[in-house]
Amino acid sequence: MPNVKRNLDKKIWIYTISIIAMGLIALYSAAHENVRVSHKVFYDQFTFALLGIGLMYVIGKIDYRRFYDGAYVFYLINVVLLAYVLLGGRHALGARRWLELGPISFQPSEVTKLALILALGRYLSNRRPSLSFNFFTKAQTFWREFFVPFGITSVYMILIFKQPDLGTALMLFGIFIVMLFAGGIEYRIILGFLIFCLCLSPLGWSFLKQYQKDRLLVFLNPNIDPLGAGYTIIQSKIAMGSGQIFGKGWLAGTQSQLNFLPERHTDFIFSVIGEEWGFVGALLLVYFYFRLISNSLYIAEQVKDPFGVLVTVGIIAILTLQVIINIGMVMGLFPVVGLTLPFISYGRSSLLIFMMMMGFLLNLSRRRTIF
Amino acid sequence: MRLKIIRIIIIVLFLMIVAELFYVQIIRGRFYYNLSVNNRIRVVPLEGWRGRIMGRRGEILADNKISYNVMVTPQEIKDMEGLFSFLSAVLGMDQARLTAIYRERKFTPFTPVTLAENIPRDKAIVIEENKFRFPSLFIQESFKRYYPLRYNSTHILGYVGKINRSRIEQVKEYGYSPPSLIGYSGVEEFYDPQLRGGDGGLQIEVNSRGQQVRLLSLREPTKGQDITLTIDTAIQQIAMELLADKTGTIVVMDTQNGEVLGLVSSPAYDPNYFIEKEYNSQLKRILSHPKSPLLNRAINGQFPPGSVFKIPVALAALDSKKITQHTTFSCPGYFEYGGVVFGDTCQYASQNLIESIAHSCNVYFYHLGLMLGAEGIYKYARALGLGELTNVDLPYEKPGFLPNRRNYLDRRKPWYAGNTINMSIGQGDVLTTPLQLVKMMSTVSREGIEVQPHLIKKIGEREVNQYNAQSQLKISKAVFEIIKQGMRATVTDPAGTAHDLNMPQVYVAGKTGTAQSSSNKEHHAWFVGYAQGDVRNIAFCVLLEHGGSSHNATFIARDLLLMMRQEQLL
Repeated sequence: MPNVKRNLDKKIWIYTISIIAMGLIALYSAAHENVRVSHKVFYDQFTFALLGIGLMYVIGKIDYRRFYDGAYVFYLINVVLLAYVLLGGRHALGARRWLELGPISFQPSEVTKLALILALGRYLSNRRPSLSFNFFTKAQTFWREFFVPFGITSVYMILIFKQPDLGTALMLFGIFIVMLFAGGIEYRIILGFLIFCLCLSPLGWSFLKQYQKDRLLVFLNPNIDPLGAGYTIIQSKIAMGSGQIFGKGWLAGTQSQLNFLPERHTDFIFSVIGEEWGFVGALLLVYFYFRLISNSLYIAEQVKDPFGVLVTVGIIAILTLQVIINIGMVMGLFPVVGLTLPFISYGRSSLLIFMMMMGFLLNLSRRRTIF
Repeated sequence: MRLKIIRIIIIVLFLMIVAELFYVQIIRGRFYYNLSVNNRIRVVPLEGWRGRIMGRRGEILADNKISYNVMVTPQEIKDMEGLFSFLSAVLGMDQARLTAIYRERKFTPFTPVTLAENIPRDKAIVIEENKFRFPSLFIQESFKRYYPLRYNSTHILGYVGKINRSRIEQVKEYGYSPPSLIGYSGVEEFYDPQLRGGDGGLQIEVNSRGQQVRLLSLREPTKGQDITLTIDTAIQQIAMELLADKTGTIVVMDTQNGEVLGLVSSPAYDPNYFIEKEYNSQLKRILSHPKSPLLNRAINGQFPPGSVFKIPVALAALDSKKITQHTTFSCPGYFEYGGVVFGDTCQYASQNLIESIAHSCNVYFYHLGLMLGAEGIYKYARALGLGELTNVDLPYEKPGFLPNRRNYLDRRKPWYAGNTINMSIGQGDVLTTPLQLVKMMSTVSREGIEVQPHLIKKIGEREVNQYNAQSQLKISKAVFEIIKQGMRATVTDPAGTAHDLNMPQVYVAGKTGTAQSSSNKEHHAWFVGYAQGDVRNIAFCVLLEHGGSSHNATFIARDLLLMMRQEQLL
């Protein structure tokens, strides 16, 4: 076999840990001498990173078929959790994203990403070859290849959109499209569907909450209302740009240290990195992400088992989309939709889920010869 | 092949990001750097306007007052000594004290420090006029919550305060930040997301003399929505006066739609104590008061219902056809079961259901209890909404407790027939909240149509309809009619326990209760009933905590109804 990459598992480890380390350093700075973001955030993330490394290691060792077997059950459990999150929490009238199980609280919307990837992976890998002597009608094929996976995705999308969490809902849609594409569906179906969605999008406008509309409008026309809803974007752009080549130095970013940046430890953490470490630091981080994703793609290319390929592609999709959209959002390239930067933004559920995904890649990279 | 395409797309996306990084940080870097560093940026917080709370006729229950705060920006201070001596002269505060406050609150050079809050307007003007001498100084206008009616409706309203550590953990997801105000308890907490205005701020660029060069950005504080409650302040006033020196609660609810018209818990407190610093000593007294005035007894207090519980028991016995309304039992004044004697206060040769409700005869209900068993009672009590939240729109509602074999088993406690007997007169472990009993009474008065108790009428200009749903219990109307006859007889029968309420002006029916509390204190006195007036039909409850005989409650109920009638509220 040509072009066989070796030591892929080692590379996954190296890049994951490098990214997390950069993230922790940035998070420390974001929480430094600050009332709005407590120091607890850093230690919390640190603890969970250690926990995540353990989890990543364990998942790397588990028998890989178990994920296949458990995919649908996992999917259903998560539907229940999401529904529970929506129904529970009668008291808080804003967004409902959190689930409390005794002392542990987590966001099922994060778990959803993994659950969807596994469920779609199992379904799409079971597709019969299309060579069926025209035994199935066109409609049946279309139903099997398109509508069922679409249904699997929509259940989650609707539940999450209701929370409301537009960003994650769109991510799920992205996963669906990419995995469908990798699953080998005909181009014209995908293309047709995307055009269909584009035509429907004006209709979707009416489903959005006011603040979501505001954010989209500000994005589309940033110079009309730069002082109202554009506040966040302007602040984060100033932070990013003022970093210039080498940055202002760790713990020395004026924008981030002076509370001008809202959400700087979660969605906007990249602007802290941009401001304090400059172009060099930001580029380094982007490079790490690129290498991580690129090596994941090598794994996908070398694995023989269709389930493994599809799940890997799903993981690559969510990772790429979140990195690109988050960084783009911080620089005002995309609207503010509330997506975290994988491995870096403060968020225990998010961190653990992404590390679990990496564990899955490790698992495949070791076993690719078996299948 | 398809993986190749994916790889190409990924490379393109990353190149795009790198290009944008290059543009923002290197090409435009200088521009942003100037914005962020060379100029001095100052943030002036602007507080949002919190929505007002109004009673059903538009009476203002919670409003905002403008308050002037003295602020100082640390990095602009030139003459520290001069500044503080000037301020101490104007404000009449000790200079050392001001300096101490400044040290304590100083956070970063850019962030303004609040030195004094809520100063009089004329002093604010003096400071504003001297601003040219002290460029670091400025006056910030902010809003202060204000409850004009003071004690009226305390427990319904709750109060506002700065977010504390435990609350910030719960709500920071929704855009709250530490200095912002948040509602505590009552409607202020429940409808906080609607009431709350969004905090905003000015980001201004200043020159070396601290003068504003230009406005960099402004985030307008937004106005919260006004809300209108179903509460009638006149009814509140009557109820409050009746409970003035007593401990207990009065709840009045419209049976037609579940609107809570009055809800008073005594002792009460003035919510302004939580806002104004000068009331600190009163506030401390409230917090350490032995009768806990902060407790809203109508929804957070759980009390044994005593004989009021005979209503669900009678309903259960009739509906499950254990008895008819003509079934009689004689009452010798005591009841013996398994060698244990259960007491009663009266003796009757033989009486039917209606008479026994009117007289509140325990022995009759001991018989019913044993016929039904604990499960039979539990089922009907539960159907009437006891032992579960009414889901009224107030925070921290308690569900009460209904014992049965299963939850006894969970606690590894045995269930004896004696438990059933105690349960049939609302003793034992039965606990209810006053609001639950009002809801039950409303359901009975409307012969099985259940309404949802609620306090909200309008949010902004929009009527709130989500609480107006009504449901029908699956119990026959004939059964309710018999129960209602019994409750009316409680008032009309000369030997009825609530004969004091027999008055021509108002049609009343209901049930008394004298509930033993676990401690050796006086009994709780209950009257729970419904009244049909010219203006509206209500269900209501009077509870006197450790108030002795139920007669004490019926007297108050009588005054309540007469006064409401007099003021055309009923």
